[in-house]
Parts: sequence; structure tokens; C-alpha cells
Amino acid sequence: MTARKQRERKRLRAGLLFISPWLFGFLVFQLSPILMSLYYSLTEYNLFTSPKWVGFANYAEMAKDSKMYLSLYNTMFITVFGLFPQLAYALAVALLLNRNVKGLSLYRTIYFLPTLVPAVAGSLLWMWLLNAQYGLINQVLGAIGLPEPNWLMDAHWLKPSLILMGFWGTGTTTIMYLAALQDVPKMYYEAASIDGASAWHKFRHITLPAISPMTLFLVIMGLIGSFQYFSQGYVFAESNNQSIGGPENAILFYAIYLYQNAFSFLKMGYASAMAWLLFVIVFILTIVVFKSSSKWVFYGGDR
Amino acid sequence: MLKKGKQKKSFVVLLAILMAVSLALSACTKSKTAEPGSTSPAASGGSPAAASEAPKKKVEIQFWNPFTGDGATHLDSVMAKFNESQNEISVKTLSNQDSQKQLTAISGGSAPDLVITYWNNIGPWSAAGAVRQLDDLIQRDGYDTTQIIPAALDRMKVDGKVYGFPISMSMANKLLYNRKMFEDAGITAPPETLEEMFDIAKKLTQKDDKGNIVQMGFIPDYPWIDNVFWPIIFGGSWVDSNGKLTANQKANVDSIAYQAQYYKEFGEDAIAKFKSGMGGLETPQDPILTGKLAMMIGWENWYVKKRGEGKEIGVAPFPYPQAHPELKGSGMVSPVAMFIPAKAKHPEESWKVIQYLVSEDVQIEYNTLQGSIPILLKALDNPKLTQNEETKPMWEYYESAKNPNLKGFPNSIYINEYLQALNEETEKALKGQISAQEAMDNVVKKIQPIADKK
Repeated sequence: MTARKQRERKRLRAGLLFISPWLFGFLVFQLSPILMSLYYSLTEYNLFTSPKWVGFANYAEMAKDSKMYLSLYNTMFITVFGLFPQLAYALAVALLLNRNVKGLSLYRTIYFLPTLVPAVAGSLLWMWLLNAQYGLINQVLGAIGLPEPNWLMDAHWLKPSLILMGFWGTGTTTIMYLAALQDVPKMYYEAASIDGASAWHKFRHITLPAISPMTLFLVIMGLIGSFQYFSQGYVFAESNNQSIGGPENAILFYAIYLYQNAFSFLKMGYASAMAWLLFVIVFILTIVVFKSSSKWVFYGGDR
Repeated sequence: MLKKGKQKKSFVVLLAILMAVSLALSACTKSKTAEPGSTSPAASGGSPAAASEAPKKKVEIQFWNPFTGDGATHLDSVMAKFNESQNEISVKTLSNQDSQKQLTAISGGSAPDLVITYWNNIGPWSAAGAVRQLDDLIQRDGYDTTQIIPAALDRMKVDGKVYGFPISMSMANKLLYNRKMFEDAGITAPPETLEEMFDIAKKLTQKDDKGNIVQMGFIPDYPWIDNVFWPIIFGGSWVDSNGKLTANQKANVDSIAYQAQYYKEFGEDAIAKFKSGMGGLETPQDPILTGKLAMMIGWENWYVKKRGEGKEIGVAPFPYPQAHPELKGSGMVSPVAMFIPAKAKHPEESWKVIQYLVSEDVQIEYNTLQGSIPILLKALDNPKLTQNEETKPMWEYYESAKNPNLKGFPNSIYINEYLQALNEETEKALKGQISAQEAMDNVVKKIQPIADKK
């Protein structure tokens, strides 16, 4: 009995030793900053002088901060109207790329290419496309008689502009969906064909359930990414000579407001509190998605 | 028995590690608390004496700046001359250090010795204890601060105390106008008053048959919403001596209402649409170069080669409100600041470098290179500037830089929040969502509590 325990202990020690580089990195560079930020969120801290304990004052202030709510709304907007349509779009492209046509690998490369463009460069490029008077998008819209919005200056059109731009960068999602699609066993489709299922039925009842684990993964990663939305919104306002947040703070996203509080207003404590609220929101949403997943995610062999 | 012994051993190791870590940590905090002491007048007064006893060793000064490209090269060349001129101090410049990098270095405890930064960082950073106050050095050495352009030096002050020195300044106090557009419209002279400017702007604004603006006389918030320039033109201010915010006083409100007038006259949507098609500032599609926009606020470093006598862009003093001729020559000053971080190791040497950089010849050389305005009053009359044909486009700026009506935004710990609030509310007023008075009342309501707290 003791011999076994001893052996186990030894193995544990060896194991810990082997992962110690990671363990060290995790403790020093991840866990400790996270815990520090929790501490800072309960203080008034300006980066230079030592933090002053204020209890939950930052959280109380946050509850009254209308700009915080606005930034949260903007972030939710881009999540709801950006993330899900973009996932659907990526799936559609993946379905197309999954067909057996000539030059497939070339198409795949082309659809993936925009993903390689850095966010800042891509944003600047899109600002030209979205130029209200000379931009390609409005020229096309005008040619077919549709209204030509003032994309970059009208507070109502800024978020849609960013969402539109987001479709361009869905290459990674597409590739991941493509991988999932290629994992769906062919025999299901054969069996369905014999039973006389239509293409829609095959998609609805075979493809979608079969790739649902990938959808779950992409939804969760997308949620996290979307709540940290920053660069594109920052660049849009900056290069238009607008102040952070753009016209009427239409593109003041949560992460941007957090950044402004931390590095412009030097309210590091408040910014930390905002970070923790963000963490809690994303955490809860992730749990909700996970809980609901038993209803719509199917793993091979189950059910 | 064996097991117990091993456990004990690993426990001891753990304890040792913990102790080492806590020791290292306490050492860190100790050195942090000890350093500010070295910036006390007594300590800094003692160091030159100590230096003269021992054989002199060159002190190396780390000098950070946010510049890139030419801006950085110009500073480098000035500092290279300084390094050659003496053998006590060796200055090492490091460019491309933006505000965030500066913030990180200073708060991380490894501050450079001297830093160039944007003037509005001085307020929050000094209030946070990151910037060395300079009054003791100024007094000790009898440095005469009145030789510096007051509007530039004022930006370096927080609650009346000096936290930095300007190295150069920029200034918006002129009206730039497209000569050809004026001629075509039969306008012989640039406007003198703001009221005249509005009339001329109406004459110079044209719409096509669909109602789209194709040419504009003036856009008050081009190229950006300026919440400092406009109130200054109307003689406004932002805070009084009792710390009460004054953004909602009449002069400030008038300045917002004046700008809103343009939006009322020409239509918010129409202007927004017109603006969206304008090319970037000083690009080949620049609206004032292409004849789409007739007038704009004039900074000293814009269109340098294209403005002045016989050139396509005319320069005139910025108009003043008709009812207030005493405000003639008003304008906004935006200096570039240099400061010594509170934790810097060689404040004495850094102070010497500052004094070198604000000396007359260096000011002239540096600002000629940068195309900015010297911050030293006497330099403005120096023949090296006023009779140098190369700096000709700057002459009228040098002259007007002496005007006492030049002002700037007061520096404070809450400056960035104040400016942000002004921006947001001014935008609402320009769009006609609220009145100018409401907008400025909102700002005061929002920022006064923050100002009182700090």
C-alpha cells in the first residue's frame, strides 16, 4: 500500500517537473496578473502610485456609467448581428469549397487570403471601399438603385460597416468548417439518397448535426473574440480624425472603452473592474451555450 | 520514516523558494520607495559637489521621444551636437516611444531620464506622481521662465507648478484660404470677423441640381472637432481659479453655437455627405488644394510650401467675433513637452539637457528643422529666423506667436476625460440634437464631480 503510494507520489513529482516550464509560465504570467487585476478592481489605481483600497466602489460606479452600457450595447450588437451571420456565411463558403470542382485548392487559397491581412491594414482598405462618395460599395449600390449610406460618418451605419468588413475575414472559420465537413462519413449521405432525401434534408439532418461540435467550438471562440472586439473599431475612428468611439460613440466597444479608461484616463482600477465584468459576462454566456449544447450538439456515437 | 524525511526536505525547499521570492519582492518595493527620496532638493543639490571630487565619469542620459522618421532624426542631430560640446553628459536618444511605452516604462520602475511627450500627458502623469516637479531647480538656478512663451509654458503647469518644459510648439491662429476660389467668387480680401466669414462661406458654398453640396466655404469641425481652438477664439476658458469648470459660460457656448450655425445653414446630412468624399489632409485630393473647400483653420505646419504671397493658399489672421475686437490674434497653442520622470536616476543632468534644448540657438536650429515654432520669446525676433528666406512661410507665425491672446487648454489630472466629454457634447450640438448651452451644461455636470474629487 505505502509502496504504491510512494510510487504515485514519485510519478506525480516527475510529472510536475516535466510540466514545470508551463506551470511557471502559467503562475507568473497568467494566474498572477489575473489575480492582480481582481485586486486592482477593488482599488483606485493610476499605475504610478500604490493602489488605494476602495472596496466595490468601481463596480458601483460602473453600474451608473451610461457609457459603459453603451459600449456593452455596441459590443452585443456586433456579436448578435456579426458573429452569427458570419458563421453562416463561413459555413456556406465551406460547403461550396467542399464540392468536387476543378482548381479547388486555388479557390480555397483565395478565400483564405484576406484572413492574412492584418486588422489595421484591412480596416484602412475597407475605409476606401466604404467611402460614401467614391467607394466601390456605394457605386454598386447606386448602380442598382439602392440608397447609398454614409458608412463611415453616419452613427447608424458604422457598426454595419464593421460587420460587413468582418465577412471578409472569415477564412479561418471557413477552413475549420471545411475540415469538419470532410469528416462527415459518406455512407450517411448514401443511405439518405437511397431513402430519397432531398439535398436540403441531407444538409439539415446529416450535415448540420454532424458538424455541430465544430459549431459549438466556433460559437464559443467567436463569443470570446467578439467581446474583445478592438482594433477595427479603434482604427476606424482614429483614421477618420474622430475621437475614440467615433461619431456619437457608435463604435465605442467594450474593449475600447476599457482601454481608454486604463491608458487615457489612468483609471486602472476601474478598467480592471470592467475586465472582470467582461470575464463574468463571457463566462456566463459560455456556460449557457454549453448547457444548451446537449440539445443541439451531437458527437459521433451518441444519440 | 524515509517518507517523512523526504516530505520534510521538500517542505524546506519550498520554504526556501518562498523566502527567496518574498525577499526579492521586498527588495523591489524598497528600491521603489527609496528612489523618490533621491529627487528631493537636498539630494539633488548634493550630487554636483560629489561629482566634482571624484574623477569625472560621463553620465549617460536616456532620452526618449515619440517621434519617427524625420522628427526623430532632427532631434538626434541636435543631441549629437550637445554630446560633442561637452564631456560630462552623454545623451542617448530613443525614438518611436509612444505614450503607452512611456507609461509602461515609468510605471514599471525603469524610467528613462528625460522624455518628450504630448503636453496633455503632463496633467494626468504629474498628478499621479510620475513627473518630477521642476520649481526647485528653476529657483535654485534662477532660471527666468518669463522668457518662454506663456501659452506654451502654461501647458506644462498643473496647479501653478511647473512639471515640464516645452521643446517646440504648434499653433492654430490663422485662416488658410484657396486664393483661386476667392477670386472666382469676386471676393477681394479674406474675412476679418467671424460674421464676415459666415457670409463669405455662404457665397462660396455651391450645390448641384440634386441638392448635393459640391463645394463648401468653410467647415468648422474640419479636419476634426476642435474643442480647444473655438472657445479660445471667443475668449472662453475651461476652469477658474477656484477649480470651478467654466465650459458653460457665455463665451464657450457662443463658440459652439457659432459652429452649429454652419450645420443649420447647410444641413447636417449634406455636410456629412460632402465631408465623406473629401480626400485626406495634405494628400493630392486635399479639399483645399482641389478647390472643394475654400477656408480652413491654419496650423503653422500645414501647406508650408504652398502658402503665402503668390502661392495658391493665402494666409490671414483667423477672424474674431465682431463684438470683441480685443480678441484679435487669438489662437490655440499646442506645445510638445519634455519632462523628467520622478524616478529618473540623473535629474541634475536631465535638467542641464533641458536648459540646453531651450537655449536660443538650439531652439532656432531645432525648430527650423522641425518646422515648428520656438518657445523662446527672444528667438522669435532673431534674424536667423526672421531674415532666413528658407523659413519665410513661418514669418507671420513667428510674429503672431508673441500675441498675448494665444491660449491653450488647462492641464490637469482629468484633462483627457474633460476633452472627451467636450468632444461628445460638441458633436451633439453640431448635429442639432441639443442646444449649445445644453451641451456645455452637460459637460460641466459630468466633469465637475471628477474635478472636485481630484
